Amino acid sequence: MSPVFLVARREYLAYVGAWGFWLSLLTAPVIIALLIFGPVLLARAEPPRVLAVVAEQASDAAYVTNAFAANARREARGEIRAYLEAAAPAVVPEAIAAFDAAPNRAAAIEAARAVIVRQAPRALAAFPNPTERYQLVIPPEPDIAGMRPYLDGSRALPDGRALYGALNIRRTDGAPVIEYWSVNLSHEEPSNIARRALRLAMQREALSAQGLPPEEADRLDGFDPQVAQFDPRPSAGEGEVTLRQRAPFYAALALSFVLWSVVFSVANMLLSGVIEEKSNKILDTLLTSVSPMQILIGKLLGVAMVSLTLFTFWGALGGGLLTLAAERAGESMFGQIAAAFLEPRLLAAFIVGFIAGYLMYGAIFLALGSLCESLQEAQTLLGPVALVLAIPMMLITPALDNPNAPLVETASWIPIFTPFLLLVRAPSGLSWLEIAGMATLMGATVVVILFLAARVFRAGVVDQVSISSWRGRKAKG
Amino acid sequence: MDAALEAEGLVKRYGARTAVQDLSFQVPRGAIYGVLGPNGAGKSTTLRMLVGVMRPTSGRITVLGGPPTRETMKRVGYLPEERGLYRSMTTRGAIAYLARLKGVSAGKAFKRADQLLEAHGLGKHRHKRIKTLSKGMAQKVQVLAAIAHEPDLIIFDEPFSGLDPVNQRVLEETIRTEAATGRTILFSTHVMEHAERLCDRILLIAHGTAAFEGTVSQALALAPSLALLETEGDFDLAAVLSTRGFNISYDGEEHGNKRWRARLENGHGSRQLLQACVEAGAPLSLFEPARASLHEAFVALVGDKAMPNAAEER
Repeated sequence: MSPVFLVARREYLAYVGAWGFWLSLLTAPVIIALLIFGPVLLARAEPPRVLAVVAEQASDAAYVTNAFAANARREARGEIRAYLEAAAPAVVPEAIAAFDAAPNRAAAIEAARAVIVRQAPRALAAFPNPTERYQLVIPPEPDIAGMRPYLDGSRALPDGRALYGALNIRRTDGAPVIEYWSVNLSHEEPSNIARRALRLAMQREALSAQGLPPEEADRLDGFDPQVAQFDPRPSAGEGEVTLRQRAPFYAALALSFVLWSVVFSVANMLLSGVIEEKSNKILDTLLTSVSPMQILIGKLLGVAMVSLTLFTFWGALGGGLLTLAAERAGESMFGQIAAAFLEPRLLAAFIVGFIAGYLMYGAIFLALGSLCESLQEAQTLLGPVALVLAIPMMLITPALDNPNAPLVETASWIPIFTPFLLLVRAPSGLSWLEIAGMATLMGATVVVILFLAARVFRAGVVDQVSISSWRGRKAKG
Repeated sequence: MDAALEAEGLVKRYGARTAVQDLSFQVPRGAIYGVLGPNGAGKSTTLRMLVGVMRPTSGRITVLGGPPTRETMKRVGYLPEERGLYRSMTTRGAIAYLARLKGVSAGKAFKRADQLLEAHGLGKHRHKRIKTLSKGMAQKVQVLAAIAHEPDLIIFDEPFSGLDPVNQRVLEETIRTEAATGRTILFSTHVMEHAERLCDRILLIAHGTAAFEGTVSQALALAPSLALLETEGDFDLAAVLSTRGFNISYDGEEHGNKRWRARLENGHGSRQLLQACVEAGAPLSLFEPARASLHEAFVALVGDKAMPNAAEER
């Protein structure tokens, strides 16, 4: 067996033989799922926040109370709709119609559930039971001064719960003034809900004063022009832009982030591996049998195999789930985004980006590692490198707004950024000429980087050039 | 001379610093050859150049009749000064891996690893990971890894350092056994006793240059003869004999007697020394002409300051 393959094989077995590898392999999907669904689950698990409303005018308190009830109902509707779009898209219109027809929130949830029981019983098991985010209670004291001990946590409500906040609504010169009291200083949503409710009330009052009935005021508030977006390119067709057309942009953003994370994780593996070998003095033993170039290629190959193993597992798992989602919930938002991840052009850009990114950054990190005796030493070199590496990440978000913005477009032609930005720009319909140009430039850079990295690697492992020796010489003058 | 290894005009410079300066020597096939010298003398740099791990600034190296190419190096076994094996590998895995890198087939490499581990008392540790072994055992495994591919030339850099006296003896035996099969062995050390016991020829390096190259007996001939003496009571032998031109040093006290060491030089032999002692009325309880050691030979060649405190390593 060729020494390159022996080095690669050892490298591969060393990683896959470590329990940490299997831990990452298995936990990464769980962690990603937690990152995606965790905030939603946490929000759902949180008990309702208890608010009290104190108002000089009973009508103001009623406006605000009604606004919170409407808000809770709207949120429950959204949650049920999102679930049904993924689990039973066919019954969404009927279930939502039933929800809207019900007189109050609890009845609306029950009405939607009844439709599911009848039309799609298989979707019943995970049917959401939306909890209200805010619950309004009778104020424990008639004024804010009396409620302060409840608000700062020194006293609990009679039922044992803590008072999250209080809205004190006064009238000054006939106009409502909202005071929101809470120790959670950065959270302004309760006061915003109250503000919107009272603004509508004030509009009603003003319009009533002009002779318009309150219903007319509500109708005026509901004015909301319809918006449709169109893609002028011939390939886009005549219809308005749908989620199916937008989904690839979101998928590309997510894939680009995954690519960036994976490339630097495996490049770090190479860096720490070569530092370990250098500090353990294993390289001296190897170098009598294998050339520095063979070690470099063997290592790149070995860790590439590790990545392939990770991708095979994650790809099979993720691809399977996405395919299932795309098939089962094809028309829903979830199904359309899932299908976008499986688009051949995105997958091709991801694979090409990974190969080029891995070779470029892997070779750079290997070369840097060969110049260091310890990870601490490597940190001093990696600082500036990390700053450069952060650039594509900073450009990914603006690229979502405008994939062809001059800054993004220019950066995507810089070969070390191309793997990530080509992926982000792929859904925007790049010309073949652009793709070929970027790929050629990236390929040529891979070759140049590999050549230079091999030279640095040789200097590091054979001639014992290291950061510490440079420092030593500098110190000696 | 049929040389297994030949170095001609080797030079290694790091910037302005010269680590090895114009070093030339030949290692005969089948010999046990020692490269001796104090720490920092340039031994490891020389050995690293010989095995191709480091490029010389200038000079020529011939290994087993050819240039030190990767192909030639498959017939060379090398134990670096600073040991290192993959800590998560098993002992048999590590030996077989390094043998396979030298071109040995997988089956043969594992078989050879098992044989070597068994023969060196490590058979029951063959499935243990390197990180679970003691330092001495790990070093033993690395020695075995260096010879697993049955090389024609074995190069060990400071093989005895870090080993306890028992394992040093075992390693000496391993070196003799390998040499008995016709292999050429070159090792570096700064402990003269190992070289004295094992080597056919030696090279002394001091400050990067060759101070001596030849057989052990040739080296010993360069050292002055010695005599060990013991006197009873408080008699000051050094004070008395120094006036007669003898170089006497005090060696300590044993059983109430004073021990002395005399360097026989300037035409003085052991007979003249004994006669001087008698004439001075020295109360001698011991008079023993002694053979000089390599250490004394090297002190004579390069001076005391260049020599290491080898006793610490013994």
